[in-house]
Amino acid sequence: MRDLVISLIRNIFLIIMLCVGAMTPGFAKSAIELDSEVFVERIVQRGGREAIRLEKPQRVLPGDELIFVLRYRNVSATPARDFVVTNPLPPAVAFRETLDGREQVSIDGGENWGKLSSLQVPIGEGRFRAARPDDVTHIRWTILQDITMGSEGKLTFRGVVK
Amino acid sequence: MNRNLRLVAAASAIAMAAGISTPAFAEGTTAGTSINNTVTVDYQVGGVNQTQEDASDTFVVDRKINLTVAASDTATTTVAPGQDGTDLTVNPPVTTFIVTNTSNEVLDFELSAANQGNGAAPNGGNDNFDVSNFQVFVDSNGNGVFDPAVDTATFIDELAEDGNIAVFIIGDIPDTQVTDDVSAVILTATAREGGSAGGSVGATITESTGADTAGVDTVFADAAGDTDGNRDAAFSATDDYTVQAAAITVEKTSAVLWDPLNGLTNPKAIPGAVVEYCIAVSNAAGGASATNVSISDNLNNTGNVTFYSAAATPPANGTSDAAPAANGVVSANACDGTGTNADASGLGESGGIVSGNLGTVSAGATETLLFRVTVN
Repeated sequence: MRDLVISLIRNIFLIIMLCVGAMTPGFAKSAIELDSEVFVERIVQRGGREAIRLEKPQRVLPGDELIFVLRYRNVSATPARDFVVTNPLPPAVAFRETLDGREQVSIDGGENWGKLSSLQVPIGEGRFRAARPDDVTHIRWTILQDITMGSEGKLTFRGVVK
Repeated sequence: MNRNLRLVAAASAIAMAAGISTPAFAEGTTAGTSINNTVTVDYQVGGVNQTQEDASDTFVVDRKINLTVAASDTATTTVAPGQDGTDLTVNPPVTTFIVTNTSNEVLDFELSAANQGNGAAPNGGNDNFDVSNFQVFVDSNGNGVFDPAVDTATFIDELAEDGNIAVFIIGDIPDTQVTDDVSAVILTATAREGGSAGGSVGATITESTGADTAGVDTVFADAAGDTDGNRDAAFSATDDYTVQAAAITVEKTSAVLWDPLNGLTNPKAIPGAVVEYCIAVSNAAGGASATNVSISDNLNNTGNVTFYSAAATPPANGTSDAAPAANGVVSANACDGTGTNADASGLGESGGIVSGNLGTVSAGATETLLFRVTVN
């Protein structure tokens, strides 16, 4: 029942927006600063209504929903191009979705890539089934636009602790 | 990483599609496992490939204590009045439960048994009596059947994540109970620290209180069982015993077969007459079979009759009707001698004591022991 309520909440809203503060300083020599964070998404009761709260991953149990956030920023004076972000999934995390839906995924350890809906898992005797989020081993974003001086961005995906 | 994140709205259209594939996590990732997420970035500046960048974060999976207990089936355990666990090798009254470790760690489990109060029993009927002298054993050889020589452990040692094992409750049934009496019994399993095989049951598990820590916290996640609370590291379930007593009635009748003056025509019980006794054992319908039904009749207490054996001298005969033959001790299904009691044994007479074993008398059946005497 609770799962139903949560999924209803999900279906009502369309976008997660994480309002974040300033980037932490990175390595001075690199053109790009990276910051990877993970949060646990919890449903809490607040004033009789259910609210979603993001917590630091201090109490994490199997089945908990995680949100992984990678922030990047160009701290050099020149644009960065062919920006490719690769995120192998930790073995104990099952992939659910990315926020922007523009990712490619791999279900074979990074050998082959594509949209999840285009990938197929062999099930023997030459037959295949459609890949599921649980099959994902790697996530990859390719950012086509230049990342100009001082610009920054954020990539987010959701997973579940196995 | 101390920034406060404010969630404005949740989820995306993808969630609607992805939501269908929520997997069933059984025990899940083992407590203490580190989850390390590393991201790498490749890029170019001014057409030149730059050194790959990476970023990572790590956290630890906490310990979720969870378990279930359930009766092994939805059938009652049928018992007889007085059936007990004094000698565990002789048909003890056993109820069987299944304890499942749904925690993400290997754990021990402490076990305890209790009587349910009067009220509805899980498999029908109402609890109206208590069993005594509870004994609880673990199905150490994992065959689901109580083996008294093997299944001697009294707590569950090192039950794997998502593992389950049968647990047996044995309680003594008072010999005063009657058919359809019901006793419900409750098994409570409590999670204890695992980590070392053998020895005694592990230490009590304490739930982490106060603020979350970056280390491994312990969280109780179990539901409320029949008699325990929510999130208490314990779970309980109920099964029941139902009494099936054998309702035995015994009736002894006699019929004069012959007397020395009237012969077979309206014989009277005068000295010298041959009388047939019938001991009829009946077991009421709806009860349990009575086994090993043994009968002994001491003719010396009856007085003035003598067992009419084949070796005995036939009574003096004053009529044209010959005296009936001696018939020994026989067993049948009625006092007229009809029917066959195949499992009767030990039928005979010695020193004026007639004895025999009718074997099993099923519910609704009657079996008889027949023998003849002469009146002194």
